[in-house]
Amino acid sequence: MPISAPEPAKRETLLVARGIVAGYGKLSVLEGVDIEVRAGEAVALLGPNGAGKSTLLSALSGIIAKSAGSVHFAGADVTRATPQQAVRAGLVHVLEGHHVFGPLSVHDNLLLAAFNAPPGERAARIEEAYEAFPEMAERRHLRASALSGGQQQMLVVAQGIVRRPRLLMLDEPSAGLSPVLVDRVLAVAAAMRARGVSILLVEQLVEKALGLADRVYVLARGRMALVSESAAGLAPAAIERAYLGGEALAGVQP
Amino acid sequence: MKAPTALRPAATIIAGALLLATLPLFLNDYWVHIATLAGTYWVLVSGLDLVVGYAGMLAVGYGGMLAVGAYTASVLAAKAGLDPLLALACCTVTGVIAGIIVGIPGLRLTSFYFAMATLGFAIIVTQVALAWGSLTGGGIGLAAPAYADPFASTGGFYCLVLIIDALATWLVWNIASGNPGRALIAVRDADVAAEAVGVPIARLKLSVFALSGALGSVAGGLFATAQSYITPDAFTLDLSVLFFIAVLIGGRGRIVGPMIGTGLLTLLPEIAAPLVAWSAFVYACLLLVVVLLAPGGIAELLERLRRAPPPIDRMAGPEPEAMSAALVSAPRAAGQLALAEVSRAFGGVRALDGISLTLAPGTVHGLIGPNGSGKTTALNILSGFYAVHSGRIRLGEADITRTSVQARAALGIARTFQTPRILGEASVIENVMLGAWRHAAASFGEVALGLPRFYRDERALRAQAMAALATVGLAAWANARADRLQHSEQRFLEIARALAMRPGFVLLDEPAAGLSAAEIENLGAIIAEMRRLGLGVLLVEHHADFVFRISDQVTVLATGRVLAAGTPAEIRAHREVVHAYLGA
Amino acid sequence: MIWASILVAGIATGAVYAMIGLAYNVMYSTSKVMSFTAGMLGMLGSVFGALFIGVLHWPVAAGFVATLAVGGIFGWITERLSVRPVLRNIDKHLYVLSTLALALMVQQLAAIEWGTEPRPFPTLFGIGHDLTSEQYWLPVIACIIAAAALEWFYRGTLAGRAFLAISEDARAALALGIPERRMRVLSYVLSGVVGAFAGFVGGELLLAFFANGMMLTFYGFIPVAIGGLGSNRGALVGGLVLGLIQQAANYWFGGDMVPVVAFAVFIAILLAMPRGLFGAAAQRRV
Repeated sequence: MPISAPEPAKRETLLVARGIVAGYGKLSVLEGVDIEVRAGEAVALLGPNGAGKSTLLSALSGIIAKSAGSVHFAGADVTRATPQQAVRAGLVHVLEGHHVFGPLSVHDNLLLAAFNAPPGERAARIEEAYEAFPEMAERRHLRASALSGGQQQMLVVAQGIVRRPRLLMLDEPSAGLSPVLVDRVLAVAAAMRARGVSILLVEQLVEKALGLADRVYVLARGRMALVSESAAGLAPAAIERAYLGGEALAGVQP
Repeated sequence: MKAPTALRPAATIIAGALLLATLPLFLNDYWVHIATLAGTYWVLVSGLDLVVGYAGMLAVGYGGMLAVGAYTASVLAAKAGLDPLLALACCTVTGVIAGIIVGIPGLRLTSFYFAMATLGFAIIVTQVALAWGSLTGGGIGLAAPAYADPFASTGGFYCLVLIIDALATWLVWNIASGNPGRALIAVRDADVAAEAVGVPIARLKLSVFALSGALGSVAGGLFATAQSYITPDAFTLDLSVLFFIAVLIGGRGRIVGPMIGTGLLTLLPEIAAPLVAWSAFVYACLLLVVVLLAPGGIAELLERLRRAPPPIDRMAGPEPEAMSAALVSAPRAAGQLALAEVSRAFGGVRALDGISLTLAPGTVHGLIGPNGSGKTTALNILSGFYAVHSGRIRLGEADITRTSVQARAALGIARTFQTPRILGEASVIENVMLGAWRHAAASFGEVALGLPRFYRDERALRAQAMAALATVGLAAWANARADRLQHSEQRFLEIARALAMRPGFVLLDEPAAGLSAAEIENLGAIIAEMRRLGLGVLLVEHHADFVFRISDQVTVLATGRVLAAGTPAEIRAHREVVHAYLGA
Repeated sequence: MIWASILVAGIATGAVYAMIGLAYNVMYSTSKVMSFTAGMLGMLGSVFGALFIGVLHWPVAAGFVATLAVGGIFGWITERLSVRPVLRNIDKHLYVLSTLALALMVQQLAAIEWGTEPRPFPTLFGIGHDLTSEQYWLPVIACIIAAAALEWFYRGTLAGRAFLAISEDARAALALGIPERRMRVLSYVLSGVVGAFAGFVGGELLLAFFANGMMLTFYGFIPVAIGGLGSNRGALVGGLVLGLIQQAANYWFGGDMVPVVAFAVFIAILLAMPRGLFGAAAQRRV
């Protein structure tokens, strides 16, 4: 990865997105969104339904096209990168709603996540994922469609590990999971951060997200309604207002 | 778009007709024969245009219709000794039957499957003609009927073809410009919207297939005489493809385009003699080029050139006071629309789990909840798109649990969609007139023949649609193509279409999504007027603030159950609701 | 003896139809497109096989490889010219028209350059006679080889699994970093090879004839409709069923009625079970 010398103030930023406009067909969901993630930090991206959180992740990972804005990742311009290029650079997007490949085995699902890894490295990466989720190792020959919803969610997070991210973007990993499993999945995310992987977490369970995150963004109706430098010091009332009202509150970029 | 004077098109048509009618005076017999062929083809293509262009059904094998008609006319004239004109009239009967035979699979099959089925139909007809030698002469063939004077000569026969052309064009024009045409475009571009306004899709499609079959078969009868002798070989796949391409090159959903297309394709091999062997190849090339570069055909290219720039002040303010005119008569007080203990699952996931909900006339009922809580499922169950697995749906005293979408539209239940389902290639006002579909009195036949009731309907529907457009502030856009509207304007267009149904209940699926603050204000004013006029409004919305402000009642769903129900003030104070939203 | 010949000829033609069905499925897996060009691949396989081996007198092996290469190239052209440009709006079904156009162009080119009369396909091995002659057993063996090779490809290689992944959930495959477009091109090339293989081994049975293109497009799709779109197992079963029905119809009703019977089967199957024997479930509309 060629890294051009960054400005001193931005030395640690891993992902910088500016003025992202994106949507589906004629409907633009994001209307100029800025977001930054620094190396090794966990960022929570919150917001009411339909605010555009998933759209933002998809725009960042190149799954949907952006009609305006720029994305820089690890110093390189990835605005026009394909999802494959994003994955190769370490920008990994775990979709919401356990998108596993039902007819394929658990192991094959992980092998596909290692598509862009050097062939010699694939087995080692999959082992890493099995270590994080031993129940996947036990079920490696089972068809993914035979897994429970919670196990499928583990599998897609495991697929995230296999892609060996520098930034792991998790979209609603708690959806449809029991509280115990939610903690498991978030613990894996925390462990990855401890190893230096940045996390960008979209989550409906606000308190869980705040427990993990260093910083918080709140997106409402296609715009950033709130940016907080500290997850701990955030008043619940402020989030609530940003959710229900949708008006911009604090929200100045650092 | 400027309103053209009524005289200009009429003058063009008369001039064109005169020119066509006098062709035999200054062309030799060969060219008159070519013109006759083109005219013959047009009889078929005009009907095919309704199927392919308007209804969007990929009927590739209409050469089969030509064969049906050619054999009907020839067998009846040669074997039964019928007068050729009478035999030609009989072609309509076999054509209607053949059209319905093709049409029935068309009710179930989509795109590729249907294209394949129609190709199969074309093959079958020629194979049957080959196999049934006692009647059709098999591979040896059959002499075609020869007409008596005044249609015996080349020029005379040409004039007969022209008369039938005019008749076919008249029928097709009426269907296309009236209620059936709009409904067909809806079936093509937004079939769920067609269903939601109450279009009986199957009956409409079969009517159109019957008409196009009749026209195709009559064309076959004429084709036989133009060829003077027919064998199964005459009905090649190339002919089927030619008809199909003529519609597509001309531009779907239009009449003049396919007419030009038919003429061009018939002439093409004649004016470029070396092309004869290559003509089928050139047709296929043209098809590919049209599909890739101009899917809308010639007509669309022309229209793109003529497009006026959009008004600077895009959307005028709405005029809610126009709503009573849009609704024509006071909405019926049909009682309350209610879900009682309704459950519905999708593949093991319970989307709705024992929901009860009542929508009273003259109230606004907000329905909120997190993603996947079942809001839209509830709306789809109320409007009839999903069946319930248990529980009942009532309208007043009547149980409508098993009532179809179309029948519920007739009972006055209107809806909008999360993603606007509009007819992009039709004009804005036509989109709204589609909503008033059920309030037209003329039957398919009356429309085709242009009887007075058809014109009365059109005037009344147009006036009503204009009022509905004024209500939502889109009146200035009435004649623009609907796909030129912005996303937010399309949401208002859907509301106008729902109003044109003259409903008792309006179910709005996230009407505020993608709207600006000012547009949300307008939406609020429109909904308030609906309530004032006695409509029951169900408002499914993410934008909680908006819902709290304008609703009389609010129901909060979470994972398919009612979490809370009450007035906005009660809900705001409800801690669990805040928890459901924030997930704490 | 009658039964034996119906059985042998039915299985042989059925094997060719089944292979065209496989070609349909391979294209469908990565693009959700049903292409009218599937049968043209078979026609090209016969015509180019006859050209290379019968006319140009190349060695059988060289002619075989070159024929498959032609199929692969035509598959590539199909993707580039008539699939990729219309894939963005797949719900508009423009691919039906664009692939039909390309299919007709190829068929017409073959008619002009190769001739409109059926021409013989050279004998390749000369093993067997009458009902054991190679025109009957070759397609069957080839069909088994093609199906087994595809099965190995899907289950045993990463690229094959990527096909299945794209077919199952294209967005998720994209998010994993699987290069969807490259995989699609690969699938069209592969489908071209399978289709040309079908035409090559079926050449002695069906002859090298331009009109076989549309015929195979039609008869190759019926197994897919019977078996369920995307199901290779279904295509094999469907192909055999169709081949046997056709030969039986040929014996009892005569050759002219064969397409009528096949068509009736096709429509009956589609109306009775629109998803076929092994097809996937329908999707929600609203």
